[in-house]
Amino acid sequence: MQFEVLAKCPTTRARVSRMRLHHGATMLPTFMPVATQAAIKGLTSQQVESLGVNLILNNTYHLNLRPGIDILKEIGGAHKFQGWSHNLLTDSGGFQLVSLSKFTKITEEGALFASPFTGQPTMLTPEESISIQHAIGADIIMQLDDVVSSLTVGPRVGEAMWRTIRWLDRCIEHHQKSGKAGVQNLFAIVQGGLDHDLRDQCLEEMIKRKDRVAGYAIGGLSGGEEKDVFWRIIKQCAEKLPEDRPRYSMGIGFAEDLLVCVALGVDMADCVFPTRTARFGVALTFGGPLNIKLSKYSTDMTPIDETCPCPTCAGGISKAILHHTATLETAGAHALTQHNIVFQARLMGGARDAIMNGTFPEYLKRFFADYFGDSGYPVWCVNALRSVGVDLLENAEHAKVVPGDGAKWEYSDKA
Amino acid sequence: MSARDPFDGREMPANGKSHVCVYCVRGVRKLSPASWNEYTATCNPDYAITLSDTPFTASPHSQKRLTKSLERSAAWLADSLKAALTKFAASSDGLPPTGYPSLLVHMAGVSDPQARRAFAESLVEPLETVDRDRLEPLNTLDEGVAGYVFDLVPIRMALSARCPADVLADPSDLLVTNPEPAPTGAGDVRHSRDFVGLLQASLQPLPAEKPRTVNSTRSPHEMLQLILDVGIDLFDAHWAQRAADIGIALDFKFPVSDAPTDDNHNDASSAPRIRANGKQDIGHNLYNSSYAHDHSRLASAFLDAASAQATSIPPTDSSICKCAACSPRRPSAHISHSAVDAMPAQPSRSASDNILPPYTRSYIHHLLHTHEMSSHALLVMHNLAVLDAFFAGVRAVLARTDGQAELRHEAEKFMERYDETMVVFDEAKVEWREVELARGKGRLAREKAKQHESTIGTAVDLEQADS
Repeated sequence: MQFEVLAKCPTTRARVSRMRLHHGATMLPTFMPVATQAAIKGLTSQQVESLGVNLILNNTYHLNLRPGIDILKEIGGAHKFQGWSHNLLTDSGGFQLVSLSKFTKITEEGALFASPFTGQPTMLTPEESISIQHAIGADIIMQLDDVVSSLTVGPRVGEAMWRTIRWLDRCIEHHQKSGKAGVQNLFAIVQGGLDHDLRDQCLEEMIKRKDRVAGYAIGGLSGGEEKDVFWRIIKQCAEKLPEDRPRYSMGIGFAEDLLVCVALGVDMADCVFPTRTARFGVALTFGGPLNIKLSKYSTDMTPIDETCPCPTCAGGISKAILHHTATLETAGAHALTQHNIVFQARLMGGARDAIMNGTFPEYLKRFFADYFGDSGYPVWCVNALRSVGVDLLENAEHAKVVPGDGAKWEYSDKA
Repeated sequence: MSARDPFDGREMPANGKSHVCVYCVRGVRKLSPASWNEYTATCNPDYAITLSDTPFTASPHSQKRLTKSLERSAAWLADSLKAALTKFAASSDGLPPTGYPSLLVHMAGVSDPQARRAFAESLVEPLETVDRDRLEPLNTLDEGVAGYVFDLVPIRMALSARCPADVLADPSDLLVTNPEPAPTGAGDVRHSRDFVGLLQASLQPLPAEKPRTVNSTRSPHEMLQLILDVGIDLFDAHWAQRAADIGIALDFKFPVSDAPTDDNHNDASSAPRIRANGKQDIGHNLYNSSYAHDHSRLASAFLDAASAQATSIPPTDSSICKCAACSPRRPSAHISHSAVDAMPAQPSRSASDNILPPYTRSYIHHLLHTHEMSSHALLVMHNLAVLDAFFAGVRAVLARTDGQAELRHEAEKFMERYDETMVVFDEAKVEWREVELARGKGRLAREKAKQHESTIGTAVDLEQADS
């Protein structure tokens, strides 16, 4: 890949960069919608493309189960299969070690999964994961990592971290032997749990492999850990990771999380949150998430966001009709999904513009004021942004600060 | 706009003199004609179907009940007409006044031809004094009616051997508003013939120039028969949408001669299965494992835009299925989210440069088995396109000289070629239900429970497997 940093924020650690991959250029920082099983739920590839998205994520574990490598090889890869002609990233299956842990057994060789659907056992080794990702044909492929839940403590965390490094070496070897290294780009995944020392050791080792790795992900987070710890690990990793490689925080999707990560030096993130919450009837806005099923929206004839260019808002679809159909009609799910994908894209696009113009601190302050002004700034965001030179509370005398993760949710006022 | 889903044949509490029981998102509600008139006036659709008293209590229904049904339906029609007249001064062209929906009347009488005829006659009888004053300037109820509607579900239920309400499908079967009789077969096909007589009984006393709508046909065969023998103008597309729900991609063409035969059909997209009776399925049950490796487009009876382009067929040709599954197009514009975003290459003026390869049967098969909802989106678009092409074909045949005879001839060929028993739908439903159980709501909890209990079911003995 060609990776070029175009601009750096003079205050924070944010930067704008361009990744040129086999299926085109993607501007960073960006958010990747998740198409786990080769589909963004409910939408066609053409719809996703028209929303201004050019990088999505597929899941190796699931695609290996269904449709399987044979069919993917027959048809010429996942791009052709799902009708997506832009950039594709595949997750290696590492996260499934945690999410499907009731069905897995991990050894040095690899991970043995019993499929929750068919019962058939699959052995996922680093080599096998890379082979599957070769068949899928993604532009960015991830190493198989030994992932533990971020809430795990004890020697298992260190064991997983060291194993991840050994598995990285196996992935690199298998990838380079295959001849695909020029077309598919391998990313390493930094592990080490919530332990700064383990993270440091992992970073040191993985940076030694820099010449054989196209980018770095920060894994093993977003599992329910304290936000105050989360941002410190992100900061530590982003600071140490090389400037000339993209940095990818896995499983991050909340707006505030994304902007903090960008400020700390992260370039890309993926999460099921925006698309999943859409199907549950929640519309994301710059003022906070709207729980469209609440009765107060039943007579609101305005769109979710008058300024939003998504087909739902630009088409004048009202909150009232979405209230009526969300969670009941698939068309309601489609409408909210398209809106939420565009929201995430606008959030990151606005960040890119601001970084290019040198106004990223102002962008952050305005975002947090609009989003959290009424409910209170999460203290972890205040602290994280202070550490890179942005004080959210500056000139905000009446600002409230709240402890904990402070995540915004809309409750019924009838409750 | 209709008060009820015409496909909903569920058992309901009894209707009354001034209400109908309807099933809404919040359960069963009583709906009065007065409320209904208010709703239609407010929503102002182009057409509103007046409230009709069709009993959905357990059958059989007595003669007395049927008579009540005729009287109420006619009375409610009169009420609707009165509401329309009151709301707006009748325009000089008569009803409907502008700004008010045109009214369609559902033809009461269910499966009793005499009842049907009586109801129709009551529409064209000169109004009695009381009503005449009320409904001035109308002389008959029919003068205020813009068209006629026939719901097949109540007729089908009345004609069925056993009461279908008892054989209600699995409640997890989404959209199971119609209790379809369990095994399809010749019995249901026979009912189609009975409809003709019943619908004709309703239409015979009525003027011929008003549009006729039928709801809830179950096949293109039934549609053809009703077009030919009853002169039906409008149909709902329910069966084609339902086909998409259960994973069926429709694949048929009218007239039959326009569809590729085995001789001239030399591309990879295979025709649907041929049954023991020698007839071809009207579509593909994409759940079937035979489609896992089938990387061709959905319908063999049509081309996709990409193949057509390769053989220089113009993109507007009727041989092409232009739906977004068979002929997807690169979007002409993307939303741009920041100034640095790579500008998409300027789309060419010519539509042909944006043509993409079709979505494949193997992909839809994958989406169906992984319980992905985009399978539904793609199949609905495709099935409606096939149905649309079907009607375009019917119209084209009718436009020929001696159109009626031509249509009858082409319809016979269609009936000869394609299987009316629709057994492919039954097969699809079974597989749909299996996937729903394995992948639908609550399945992970079911699987975790199984894993917990024992090694029976999908749990795998990990110790043993690790060898």
